[in-house]
Amino acid sequence: MEDYPEELRTPPLSLVSIVGCPELHPSISAALSSQQPPMNTLALPDFTKASILARSGKARDPLAPPQAPAGILKKDWLLKHRTRVPAAVAALFRADQVSGDPAQWLQACSDLENLKSAIQGINTKLVVVLVQAQASDELSEDVTVALRKRAEIDSKHLVVLVEHDEAEWNRSLSKLKNVFAELCSAFYKEEGRRIKARIEKRNFSSVELSIRYCFKVAVYAEFRRDWPEALKFYEEGVRVLREMIGTSTRLPPTQRLVEIKAVAEQFHFKISTLLLHAGKVVEAIMWFRKHIRSYERVVGTPEVAFLHWEWFSRQFLVFGELIETTSATVPDTLSPRFGTADNALTEWEFQPAYYYQLAATYLREKRYAIECSSSTANLTTEANGIPESVMPSVYVGQYVRLFEQGDTVSVLPLSDTEYTSYALSEAERFQDSYEIIALFRKAYESFQSLGATRMASSCSRGMAIEYYAAGDFSNAKQLFDGVAGLYRQEGWTTLLWENLGYLRECSRKLNFPKDFISYSLEMAALPLFSGSVEETRENKIKSGPAGSPTISRRENILQEVVNVLERKQPPEGNDDGFSNAMEETTHLDIDQISPLRMVLTASVAFHDQSVKPGSPLLISVSLLSHLPSPVVVDQLEVQFNQSDCNFVIHSTQEDSPPLDSNLHGQVVEATSLTLFTNKWMRLTREIKSGQSGKLECLLVKATINKHLVICCHAESPASMEDFPLWKFEDQVETLPTKDNVLAFSGQKLIQVEEPDAQVDVVLNSAGPALVGEIFIVPVTVFSKGHTVHSGELKINLVDARGGGLLMSPREAEESESHHVELLGVSTVSDGKESKEEVDSIRKIQYSFGVVSVPTLSVGDSWSCKLEIKWHRAKSVMLYVSLGYSLGSSEEEALHRLNVHRSLQIEGQIPLLVTHQLLRPFRREPLLLSEIRSLGDGDKKCSLAMNESNMFIVNARNCTEVPLRLHSMTIEPDDDGKQLCSVQQVSGISNGHAVIAPSEEYKGIFSVNPRASNSNFHLGEICLNWSRDSRLGEAQERRVIMKQRLPEVSVEEPPLVVSMECPPYVILGIPFTFYVKIHNSTPLLQEIKYSLVDSQNFVFSGAHNHAAFILPKSEHIVSHKLVPLGSGSQQLPKITVTSVRYSAALTPSASAATVFVYPSEPKFNLETSCSASDQCVS
Amino acid sequence: MIVCVAVVGHQNNPLYLQSFTEADDALKLHHIVHCSLDVIDERVNNPKRSAPTLNETFLGLLYPTENYKVYGYLTNTKVKFIMVTTDLDVKDADARNFFRKFHAAYVDAVSNPFHVPGKKIASRSFGARVSTIVKSFGSGTTG
Repeated sequence: MEDYPEELRTPPLSLVSIVGCPELHPSISAALSSQQPPMNTLALPDFTKASILARSGKARDPLAPPQAPAGILKKDWLLKHRTRVPAAVAALFRADQVSGDPAQWLQACSDLENLKSAIQGINTKLVVVLVQAQASDELSEDVTVALRKRAEIDSKHLVVLVEHDEAEWNRSLSKLKNVFAELCSAFYKEEGRRIKARIEKRNFSSVELSIRYCFKVAVYAEFRRDWPEALKFYEEGVRVLREMIGTSTRLPPTQRLVEIKAVAEQFHFKISTLLLHAGKVVEAIMWFRKHIRSYERVVGTPEVAFLHWEWFSRQFLVFGELIETTSATVPDTLSPRFGTADNALTEWEFQPAYYYQLAATYLREKRYAIECSSSTANLTTEANGIPESVMPSVYVGQYVRLFEQGDTVSVLPLSDTEYTSYALSEAERFQDSYEIIALFRKAYESFQSLGATRMASSCSRGMAIEYYAAGDFSNAKQLFDGVAGLYRQEGWTTLLWENLGYLRECSRKLNFPKDFISYSLEMAALPLFSGSVEETRENKIKSGPAGSPTISRRENILQEVVNVLERKQPPEGNDDGFSNAMEETTHLDIDQISPLRMVLTASVAFHDQSVKPGSPLLISVSLLSHLPSPVVVDQLEVQFNQSDCNFVIHSTQEDSPPLDSNLHGQVVEATSLTLFTNKWMRLTREIKSGQSGKLECLLVKATINKHLVICCHAESPASMEDFPLWKFEDQVETLPTKDNVLAFSGQKLIQVEEPDAQVDVVLNSAGPALVGEIFIVPVTVFSKGHTVHSGELKINLVDARGGGLLMSPREAEESESHHVELLGVSTVSDGKESKEEVDSIRKIQYSFGVVSVPTLSVGDSWSCKLEIKWHRAKSVMLYVSLGYSLGSSEEEALHRLNVHRSLQIEGQIPLLVTHQLLRPFRREPLLLSEIRSLGDGDKKCSLAMNESNMFIVNARNCTEVPLRLHSMTIEPDDDGKQLCSVQQVSGISNGHAVIAPSEEYKGIFSVNPRASNSNFHLGEICLNWSRDSRLGEAQERRVIMKQRLPEVSVEEPPLVVSMECPPYVILGIPFTFYVKIHNSTPLLQEIKYSLVDSQNFVFSGAHNHAAFILPKSEHIVSHKLVPLGSGSQQLPKITVTSVRYSAALTPSASAATVFVYPSEPKFNLETSCSASDQCVS
Repeated sequence: MIVCVAVVGHQNNPLYLQSFTEADDALKLHHIVHCSLDVIDERVNNPKRSAPTLNETFLGLLYPTENYKVYGYLTNTKVKFIMVTTDLDVKDADARNFFRKFHAAYVDAVSNPFHVPGKKIASRSFGARVSTIVKSFGSGTTG
């Protein structure tokens, strides 16, 4: 757009001229140009300059026949009307010039005459301005009238300016502006009408004039700001112009076309500007479409096609710039359904980038056309040469040759041949490439910001091709690389093919052999429309340096790579640099996202998921290539993370290459390693697993043609991705391994297990543990095949019922005591070894312990004893694990072997202790607390004071082993010793008593409380026991077991009833039965008693009776009885009732039983009688 | 005259692309088809589109470029059809009609039990049928 002349780019402004009083000119022209609409001022300082206003054109002879015009538009016509032909001219006179001195008046008159004569013949209007210093300087009427008459103007066209009063000055100036505006409008309307009349009358000799008139009318309309009319005549002009193409014969055809297009361009530019400035974007775009359609096929002869393309490209560029500068947006009223009947436009036609992109495309077309033209022109027009002194003529779009002959310079028309060679030489001077790149870049940035990535890529490609054509290969390569990414991603192989072809050439030119090889291989492996029906048609695709995308071309490219590798011939031309840049071997790295995965993919699967160390395992290596022809692999190296497992496969077809001594893997020979296109090459090898841990296949290196090493990252078949471009191909998918399961689940890594431990750990236990004792668990470590280094024994006690902890959480808070406690580990001291043990780590906690094990050689054993104490009867799991390494070196120390053993141990309570309290025989003290607390749940045992009570302790063996009871004592509390005497009645003789399983031992104590106490502690039962170990065992561990006795209540009985009866009686022999009631209170006690008859006895005495017992005295009730039956007989039942305490006593059945002998027995009656009163066993 | 038809899959990958031009501009047509995907993206994702047009499969003129016009069509399975023509005046009805027939041919082609969805269409009968449809385009019959 910047190439257009200024007058074309801006809307025309009315032009007025002012003459005289030059000191006022700046302020007047400033005022006029600030008006709305502004006016331009042609300021002439004095009247002598007025002649330039006169018509410069030569006077045409009105009688001469009308000459055919030599062109359509004169170049300077618009400029002339904008700068040199004013619509009105104002003559400025100072008031004193016309009112005072007659000489000055005469001068003014002659100036006016000059001016009038200058504008004679043209319609320029005249205004006279009188400049006064003050408003008060009144001019005489005569002067103004005389001046008006001189100037032949209306009174309103005489304006008075007041110079020194600002208000007056502004007022008079605005009057002048109004006068000017009115006159301008009249002038341009008149001019327009004059020319329009010619069009309407068709008063012109040629079509050129018609177009010229249209242009003029439109320009005059623009001066008047009558936009619709201007648009109408511009469009009319374009219409006529388009029709002229086929009809005009004025100029030779090529130049004619050039002229027409140049004029059309101006018309079109005017129309587009008018439409866009009026906000009619849609109309402007529609107009542009029409314009393009009218001219797109008007190319002209092939030699000058470049002119057309240049012009055509400029149309797009200019329109794009117009859209950009007017920042046209999609109008809201437009239907959003672009591209349909509702709205024929499309989104991009509103974007300048669209036009820039097309402009660039057409400019490239121009470049191609120039290349064609130049090549032919060089052959044909060499002799003629390029004509000299060619210059643009006065007409738009025409060129002439200046011809100098002596002093006269004449202008000669050009022939088409001359013109063509001139245009070609002119065009060749320009570097279009940079222009094209700039346009594409502009479009690229714009499309990128619009989010149209594909369009942007297309522009990027355009830039790249231009760089390539201009020989800037590094820029080109960078751009092509960027574009290739998109095509790879979306699978547009044909586009990628072309792109890679350029990239390949760029790398060749830049001497990057590695890139050249990788691009070539990628090209060769591309899935093209090969094998389809359409191959013949697709063959036609011209893809720049890549050639047609066919299988044969792919094969050629592969062969080229092979040649390059073998240095047979440099690719095209003798580029020494290229060969020199080659390294000895070229390494290509192919990972999972590399585009070269198509070239070679390695899938590695172990047949198993885990394996023992050192044992053989199978591995499948599968290779797939999409290269078009078979590839022979010289050597295949498979690398693992454990380098010991690496192996190499050589192809025997090749001359056996020298084995690389650095390789520490196995070397295997294989018959043939040839990769056929799209077929998996499957190799299954047996390798030896290495150390325990993860064994992963990392790389598969394939050496091809000795100089190309392709490193493929190994892929697991289970997680293998689709092939980027081949996944869209309609072909049968093959699996990397024959085994389907392996193909879907195979992994490239395998777990190598730990070796089997050759050490045994034995846990022994002697049955269940007993609560309280220190239980010993012997542990023996026995090495069967491994030497044990830095062994460590871990001991852990866990609740067998789960939960882990050996105490309840609440108990844990209260105390630190555990139910089961690991007290310690004692090692078997065998002299030497125990000393080494000193430094060993020994860490014991309540339920966890670590003990180090000394180094053991094969066959040795080591043992220790775990000391565990049970506080409660609980079942416990004992876990013992031995961790060791096979050697003392650092490497070996990392691999530790572990042996685990566990044992469940029951904890049992050894002795169950129960006790029983007995009162004296046939002696019943009245215990008041027993009467009162009748029916209460927690019945406390009550004892009568100063009575001797029996206390029996039962210890029952609950275990399955015999126990030894060493002692059983009752330890009274400290204060209890004085208050109560406890004496053991029967005890353990012979040191200890052995209690067999589920047997009982009874101990008897007599308890005689001496003071009354309602809460009396009897003390604790202490049992001292041990296991009944066999004779010969060194030591027995005695355990003291204590159990607290319950509280008793000791009280003083008010009444004590005792019955007296012989220990035995003899049938038929009478005896006396006494009931003694002792009153220990200071009160008189009334008692009642009754006796019930018994069939085995006859008795004398009262059945019922009552008695009073004096304080602190005793009352004896006696009955004489005669037994009637022998055996154990029930005495007559006596009931004693105390009236005061409402307590009745009936002796128990045992107390009321007596044995009746049929006759006198033969034994010493004296001794038994005395003992029978106290002793009950 | 239709110079190129194309079927483009979900990942904007070409499933079928056939040009019907004697000139050697097939590669240019590939580019044109590829670029037109931008317009389809824009049209499909444009939130301004009113609801009644949501179910419209015919996308209309995508963009005019050089002397081609590119038309688009989006099936309900989001497969894109693109047609490039050199005709100056294409009636909407003609274009719709073409795409309708083309869609039918496509449906028949992918209904082939041996066709794997998402892969390129290599069926010869589909190619032949498309050629027939292309030849009949703009021949005046709109039925």
